[in-house]
Amino acid sequence: MGWIPWSSGDPNKASDGGRIAPDRSSRARCWEARDLFFSCLDRNDILDGIKNDKEARQKCGKEVAEFEAACSQTWVKYFKEKRVMEYNRDRTIQRIKAEDAAKVEELKSKGQIPK
Amino acid sequence: MSPSLKMASGLLGRATRQLAAVEAIPSSRTIPILRSTMQCRSYAQAQRPRCQNAPVSFIRNQFSTTAFRARAKTMGQLRQRNSTGPFSWKAAALFILTGAGMMLYFRVEKARLERKRIAEMSKGVGRPKVGGPFVLKDTDGKEFTAEDLKGKYAFVYFGFTHCPDICPDELDKMAEIIDKVKEATKDDKLFLPVFITCDPARDTPQVLREYLKEFHPDIVGLTGTYEQVKHVCKQYRVYFSTPRDVKPGEDYLVDHSIYFYLMDPDNDFVECIGRQDTPESASKVILEHINDWKREGRPLKTE
Repeated sequence: MGWIPWSSGDPNKASDGGRIAPDRSSRARCWEARDLFFSCLDRNDILDGIKNDKEARQKCGKEVAEFEAACSQTWVKYFKEKRVMEYNRDRTIQRIKAEDAAKVEELKSKGQIPK
Repeated sequence: MSPSLKMASGLLGRATRQLAAVEAIPSSRTIPILRSTMQCRSYAQAQRPRCQNAPVSFIRNQFSTTAFRARAKTMGQLRQRNSTGPFSWKAAALFILTGAGMMLYFRVEKARLERKRIAEMSKGVGRPKVGGPFVLKDTDGKEFTAEDLKGKYAFVYFGFTHCPDICPDELDKMAEIIDKVKEATKDDKLFLPVFITCDPARDTPQVLREYLKEFHPDIVGLTGTYEQVKHVCKQYRVYFSTPRDVKPGEDYLVDHSIYFYLMDPDNDFVECIGRQDTPESASKVILEHINDWKREGRPLKTE
């Protein structure tokens, strides 16, 4: 059973009016489909699955279909955005580290920090 | 600090004993036949320690009550005492051991006081307060208020069941923490893990019950009306972004803070457990607070 968006005859509706969330196994299915899709994006050098949606669908058609079937729409969007966010975050951290290292080297060469 | 005192007096005793032994030799108590050789030796031997120790030991000797306790019985003993001075391996080991023991004790005590400071920080006036009275309902639909948290160490987490990845991870962590704390305290009722939903529209008691069952049976799931949940989030300083009017069937995500709040039996905030904590580090922190509380003999509700 994949993720069925809330349509008529809603199977996710609880008897007290709540909305049943994906359980552990459907979460695992969703995460697995997500990882497969993202590794396909990696192979094709695509970062943003939203901005480059067309290209992603062309190159990873099967994976994106499975990803969207296994996860709810909001989750799909969330994971795609998170991928970009994490990439930018890691790059920023790397940049700062590199800048720090360069600064330390510079100070060392000037003799301001003992080698 | 009795061990250190004991050690100090031991060293003093040794020093004075040394002197006493040297002083005693030329006296009339020495066997007359040996006198001539003894005096030669004792003169030579007495010179050394006297030169080295004289200024201090003479003064000490006058005040000492432990002198003359043990005179050297043989020349061997005497020679040994003179060659090693007041210090021996035993004294050195005792010194190091006592020092290490004290250091350890102070370190443990310092950590305890630091925790106490953290715990006391949310008590008293003029402090930003985390937590407070609220009225919600549990997964059986029964009313649950802040009073129900009192007398136990409550471990409060905010989230929502449609959470994509962070809450499930954190709830798995919570389950591990619960087991670790339960195992260590050997008490089922002391630690109360609570999950409060930020998404009352979708998370009804039934939904919460089914959802939390997959993580740990001990977790108490709480929900309520939109206003009630908004209120409790405000009490706990949790960022609350749930849209008020969602169309039936609409799918959405909720932004929320991802901290665990440890509350003491007075229902005062103690500490935050965040994403960076492992189940090991988190349960260690929690157990330290619980043990401090117990050691101080403060009341706990265990029924």
